[in-house]
Amino acid sequence: MPRDTSDLLHGTLDLLVLKALATQPMHGFGLCQWIEQRTRHELEIVDSALYKALHRLTDAGAIAAVWGVSDNNRRARYYSLTPRGRQMLRAEIATWKRYVSAVSGILETA
Amino acid sequence: MLSPWLPRGIRRLFQLPATRARMARELDEELRTHFAMRVEELRARGLSRDDAEAEARRRFGDLEEFQQYAAHRIARRARWLRVTDWLAELVQDVRFAARQFTKARSLTAIALLTLALGIGANAAIFTVVHRLLIAPLPYPDGDRIVKLVVGDGNAPDQAMLAAWRDRARSVDAIGAVSVHALFLQDFGDTRDTVPAFITASYLRLLGLRPALGRDFTPADAQPGAPAVTIISYRKWQREFGGRADVLGSTIPVPDLDDRQYAIIGVAPREMSIPMSAPAGVSGKLRQATPAIWLPASLDSLAGSDVFARLRPGVAAAAATRELQSILDSEPPTGREPVRARAMRAQDFLDPREAQTVQVLFVAVGVLLLIACATVANLLMSRAWTRRREFAVRTALGAGRLRLARQVLTESVLLALAGGLLGMGVAWAALEIILTLRPPSLEHLDGVTLHPAVLFWTAGISVGTGILFGSAPALFAGARPVGDVLRSETRTASGGSAAQRMRSALIVFEIAMSLVLLVGAGLLVRSFVGLQRMHLGFRPQGLVATDVMLSFGREGSAADRAARRDELFQLLRAMPGVTGAAMGMMPGQGWRVLATLESEPDASGHSRSVADFAAIFITPDYFRLAGMSLVAGRPPDSLTWPRGGGNADPSMSPEVVVSQALARRLWPEGGAIGARLVEKSSGPFTRAGRSASYTVVGIVEDVRLPGGRDARWTMELYSPMPPRLFQLPLVLRTTMPEREIVSSIRRVVADFDRTLRGETGLLFGAILREVTVGDTYVRESLAPARFAMALLVAFSVVALVLSGVGLYGVIAYSVAQRTREIGVRLALGADAMSVKRLVVGGGLRLAMVGIGIGVVAAAGSTRVLSHVLYGVSPADPGTFVAIAVLVVTIAVAAAYIPAHRATRIAPTEALRAE
Repeated sequence: MPRDTSDLLHGTLDLLVLKALATQPMHGFGLCQWIEQRTRHELEIVDSALYKALHRLTDAGAIAAVWGVSDNNRRARYYSLTPRGRQMLRAEIATWKRYVSAVSGILETA
Repeated sequence: MLSPWLPRGIRRLFQLPATRARMARELDEELRTHFAMRVEELRARGLSRDDAEAEARRRFGDLEEFQQYAAHRIARRARWLRVTDWLAELVQDVRFAARQFTKARSLTAIALLTLALGIGANAAIFTVVHRLLIAPLPYPDGDRIVKLVVGDGNAPDQAMLAAWRDRARSVDAIGAVSVHALFLQDFGDTRDTVPAFITASYLRLLGLRPALGRDFTPADAQPGAPAVTIISYRKWQREFGGRADVLGSTIPVPDLDDRQYAIIGVAPREMSIPMSAPAGVSGKLRQATPAIWLPASLDSLAGSDVFARLRPGVAAAAATRELQSILDSEPPTGREPVRARAMRAQDFLDPREAQTVQVLFVAVGVLLLIACATVANLLMSRAWTRRREFAVRTALGAGRLRLARQVLTESVLLALAGGLLGMGVAWAALEIILTLRPPSLEHLDGVTLHPAVLFWTAGISVGTGILFGSAPALFAGARPVGDVLRSETRTASGGSAAQRMRSALIVFEIAMSLVLLVGAGLLVRSFVGLQRMHLGFRPQGLVATDVMLSFGREGSAADRAARRDELFQLLRAMPGVTGAAMGMMPGQGWRVLATLESEPDASGHSRSVADFAAIFITPDYFRLAGMSLVAGRPPDSLTWPRGGGNADPSMSPEVVVSQALARRLWPEGGAIGARLVEKSSGPFTRAGRSASYTVVGIVEDVRLPGGRDARWTMELYSPMPPRLFQLPLVLRTTMPEREIVSSIRRVVADFDRTLRGETGLLFGAILREVTVGDTYVRESLAPARFAMALLVAFSVVALVLSGVGLYGVIAYSVAQRTREIGVRLALGADAMSVKRLVVGGGLRLAMVGIGIGVVAAAGSTRVLSHVLYGVSPADPGTFVAIAVLVVTIAVAAAYIPAHRATRIAPTEALRAE
């Protein structure tokens, strides 16, 4: 059953957005689709949370937005990773891996 | 789609500025697209339109909460962007301005130098004005401190002090100070042992607190109280290394007695005796700076310097009225009624000097105006040459406001840099002013650039920036773009408004410079006149000293005379001394509190004079001082009849009177052989005593370049009364000043030792003053030299600035008329006629400026009338000379570009644009 993003650990959504944008610039809806496809619809993103995350990352200078035209000729806002965002992504991934290995270490021994 | 990988700077260039409405609209559009895409996708999966829309709404989450969040974020973001945009633009402006300045290096250098001179001179003079006229005393609320005097600056007596202390409401505290020394400290004598007595209220009165320890209390001054002292800050630093444990240690006060005094406090650094008169004009000896402060009661300090602190909001004039009315209401004591005054430090300033300072202040303000005009001119000509740049930027969408702001940024930046440099100039100028300052402006010593001056300077520089920045800014955006770009191919006609304004500025500059130059010229002429002035005596090699002698109570009059004679012979016998006589430096007689009365003439009529100066002499005084008698002979009798006053006319001592005194008492002549009666008055002599004299000669009036109070030109040259404890004498010497002063000191010190050994007294002979004739005359000239030097410096700077400005205007107009001049040359005009054309243009401006300047100067040099000697404020010679000078400078300034114009190659000129 799909889980709500509100269950996601704080910061996970930001990480996913950064990861998605590292592949190519995308608009908001594209991001939703990308994440849902990659998680085989395990995660269902709440749109308002996604946009808040995008704003957060924009203000932090990790991503930048420009207006572009979508595949089916709609004017859409495309987000892309800035050099700073790329750096942030690398750091976040490392942190995430350490976190996961620490938590799973506990879970496996218990 | 616009590529997202374009560099950020470029992208921002094409982005529309973020406003609140635009950000809201964009977010709205983004979410609508998102919603539409979602519905599309759901319908593609087979949902009905209604179901798809409902599902899309569910997937969006809490819409209401998001709307609130969005509104909040947009508001915050818009605010932030406004600030960063503004800062970014400012940085852009500043960087742009800096680039512009480095591109036009010489122009920037001239502008900076001009501003630095204008602002620097202003700050320095303002510091002086501030110290002299606005806040003369370096204490907190220093303007509330007044000195209480009676009559012509005498100290109030015990009864007056008691009455004021008990009844005066206009003052907070009355205190007194007395330096326990007639000792005058030499230059270079750094003894820190001079004691001074103060009342317990003294520190508080100055608005000060001890730097360490406690203040005196009235109990400290009670008889039998333990011996305590507050030491000076300097002594604390030098002898106690500034240690806190100095409190409680004891020191001796050798000048006073052999007790040990416990240190209870350290005086603050700025503690001193305000408004104390400079000690003589010798410049070699100064009043001692006390190092040891001792407690005393107000009563015991009657007759010394008395100060009071005005209550807040009370004017000195109101205090004067109250103090006077208290004295008037006291029961009569048989004493003559006296005039009481509460004097501020400003009141001690010679009115002529105050006026000089004010004249300088106005002059330096004019100089600043000239500096501003020069810089405005420079910037305007540059703005004009940059009109194409401005037009292009306008065409590219730069707002007029943005352009004006850019120009303004440049000017303010320039002004601030000029202000910064100006601080350096101010510092240097202040040093120069302090070096030149006349001795009477003694309390200028130690003045530093004041915080108020920093504000003043910052104010001037920013004000100047806005003032001259506005001129180019105004017309930077004032012309239609197409016009400028089109007119670029032809020249000049469009610039006529700007050219007119620049010409007006030049005319103004020349006129103001002329006013300053005329003022300076008048002062120079006056100064030259002063140096050639007939003084009535010969100051070269003349030295006057005054020695105070103590003989103990036993000494008879004959004894004293013998002692005096002994010292006189010793001084006279010094090597390098060619002659000696009793007497004082001419013009430095003592004031006598007495009235001189001429004997009734045939019709029973007599005249009297209350203010006169007495000089005690021996007969060869006049020859020694180089003074010539206009009538009669020097006295040959030196006898002073026993008992002072006498009724026997045949016994009356012979005296010589100055021309001024003779004119006053015997306006019809007949002074020689006439008799005079001196009737003592005032608090210091027993009333009713009188002496009579026979006039045997009239001597020329002594005049000094610094001017003399007319009252004291009435001089009586008489034999020395036997009661006096002083030996005033004049010497002729061939020795240099420094050597003669130290010889005199040595002889007097030796004599002092001998006398103390014989009498067992604390002192025998004290050298009070040494005045060297040349220095005396030079220092009398100092105020005139001070004003002259500064005004000359200002006016020369003003002239240079005007010259530079005129050169700029002419050079620019030549550049503008390159084509026209080229055509003239091509058509066969010779170099001379072209030069005439260009120089003539400059001369026309100069003539208008000179015309206006002459009128302005004629109207304003009258303020100098009190300072001038031997030259009228409307002196035609000076006016003509200065006008010629300005014309010369104008021709020179115009000639350089004129010469350049003749070398324009016609073919180039035609191709030029």
